[in-house]
Amino acid sequence: MAKQHHDVTLEWPDADRETRTVAVDEDETVLEAAERADIALPFGCRTGACGTCTGRLLEADGAESAAGDDERGTIDVTDAFSYRRSPRALKDRHRADGYVLLCIASPRVGCRLAVGASVHTELVDNPWK
Amino acid sequence: MSDANTPSDVEPEHDHDHHDHEGPGYATPQAAIEEGDREKLAYVMSLYVGTDVDAPDFVAVVDLDPDSDTYCEIVDRIELPNRGDELHHFGWNACSSSCHMEGLERRHLIVPGQRSSRIHVIDAKDRHNPELETVIEPEEVFEYDLSAPHTVHCIPDGEILISMLGDADGELPGGFLELNDDFEIEGRWEPPGEIEMNYDYWYQPRQNVMVSSEWAAPKTYYPGFDLEDVEAGNYGQRLHFWDWEDGTVEQTIDLGEEGLIPLEVRFLHTPESTHGFVGAALSSNIFHFWRDGESGEYRAEKVIDFESREHDDWDMPVPALPTDILISMDDRYLFGSNWLHGEVWMYDISDPSNPRRADSLSVGGTFGEVQEVQGRELSAGPQMIQLSLDGERLYWTTSLFSSWDEQFYPEEGERGSVMLKADVDPRKGTIELDEDFLVDWGECPEGPARAHEIRWPDGDCTSDVWQ
Ligand code: FES
Repeated sequence: MAKQHHDVTLEWPDADRETRTVAVDEDETVLEAAERADIALPFGCRTGACGTCTGRLLEADGAESAAGDDERGTIDVTDAFSYRRSPRALKDRHRADGYVLLCIASPRVGCRLAVGASVHTELVDNPWK
Repeated sequence: MSDANTPSDVEPEHDHDHHDHEGPGYATPQAAIEEGDREKLAYVMSLYVGTDVDAPDFVAVVDLDPDSDTYCEIVDRIELPNRGDELHHFGWNACSSSCHMEGLERRHLIVPGQRSSRIHVIDAKDRHNPELETVIEPEEVFEYDLSAPHTVHCIPDGEILISMLGDADGELPGGFLELNDDFEIEGRWEPPGEIEMNYDYWYQPRQNVMVSSEWAAPKTYYPGFDLEDVEAGNYGQRLHFWDWEDGTVEQTIDLGEEGLIPLEVRFLHTPESTHGFVGAALSSNIFHFWRDGESGEYRAEKVIDFESREHDDWDMPVPALPTDILISMDDRYLFGSNWLHGEVWMYDISDPSNPRRADSLSVGGTFGEVQEVQGRELSAGPQMIQLSLDGERLYWTTSLFSSWDEQFYPEEGERGSVMLKADVDPRKGTIELDEDFLVDWGECPEGPARAHEIRWPDGDCTSDVWQ
């Protein structure tokens, strides 16, 4: 029987790069599938500790995210992905905002993700500025 | 293969007189000053991790010979096999602490990936064209329930000790990983659980002491700096003093709120000395520590305090963030870099309990008077520093840690780092920017790269220890 897979569309919000769609197997992480398709996504630890691979869920299983300028907020990431191990680099506020660690996350539904180095930089800002 | 067993076939840049010792390095700190040549090459950690540049991190070989046609250029790049490492700190397989070890050579660079936990061994027999020799994969490291390798020191018998900031999951506790002289993992150096947080360390074998400092759990500092973590007590403020032979903690000093995030820790070079310094980056203070002769216990006291500064574009006073310090080989000066303020400073530490400000240089960062060199805009403040053996040339790079750079100096990733230099007059105690010197990581073939720690081929002020 063929492996179950889900189509994941990758978009680079701040970089001049073409949107790409990859089929991610159920037992595969988004990062692994991207590598298989020769797509370079940022990563560091590959264990869920560093946040370098962070993506943001834009749409899952056809359900658009919140209306308005701020695209974050309404999709429940926990329904869209299963984690291989615990996503330690993300705080509760990040998970609630739709952030996903692509090195340890496998999709359960088809979805659209913001990816690339700029997504990671959204996690924390300069506290003095 | 072991450096201890190979014939001595390395042709060093210079032929220093070995006098009464057989191994690598110099017999004393004074011999390093007198016998060491001017640094003509630098090895510099260079990185792409965390960016969209599809290339692995690399070790840059930088030409520092003013008489060379390629002065101030990156003349070789040792590319590593994988992306995602975050090269950070590194060290030699042997230093002056092994100067009694006949046949051992200062030949291999141990280059860990801070994020990947992968450990590379580079053969620098050919100083201009070093080659990657061995790779220890992360899975082998995780087996010892350790991750996030940081400081590399050789230990006197040819083995190598690496401070590890986290457990296999990137959580606490950290510990120390020991490699043997064949560059295989020997195991954990200390009984697990001696410390929680870890960062930098330095040892003084003649005093049978090691000191280690604290950053945080990898999962805390990897994603970036979050004040919530400070409030939650997730950042360190302690120094640990170890029995060097037993590998056990004998004493822990809590530096308190004024000692938040103690990073680089340095003993004086004189092997008899029990004095040292540590920079507390977040609270922007420098602490002096020493062994109290009467009680035999170590004490620590704040001796330098950098005030936060108001800036029109910032909501809150900006802390200085002294992220690196070093001690000159003659133990006379303490140098440091205030990464956020944009300052390189030197203090006379002839009396270590009363450091006296000698001079400083305002360059880069948020307040630096010099904001471009040779028309090249600086994107961040001075960060990792390295001093010539004779104490006359101070060099620095500008990247701290990729995710922290992104928060405080987002332009650093777009423009890349630079390496700058100042001329130091140790006699007068002055420091002056050398405007003719600039190495630019913004022009690397794959795109702008960050640059971090700097080492010289034949020993430097932040790696050599005397037995
Ligand atoms: S690569 Fe470190 S959390 Fe994914």
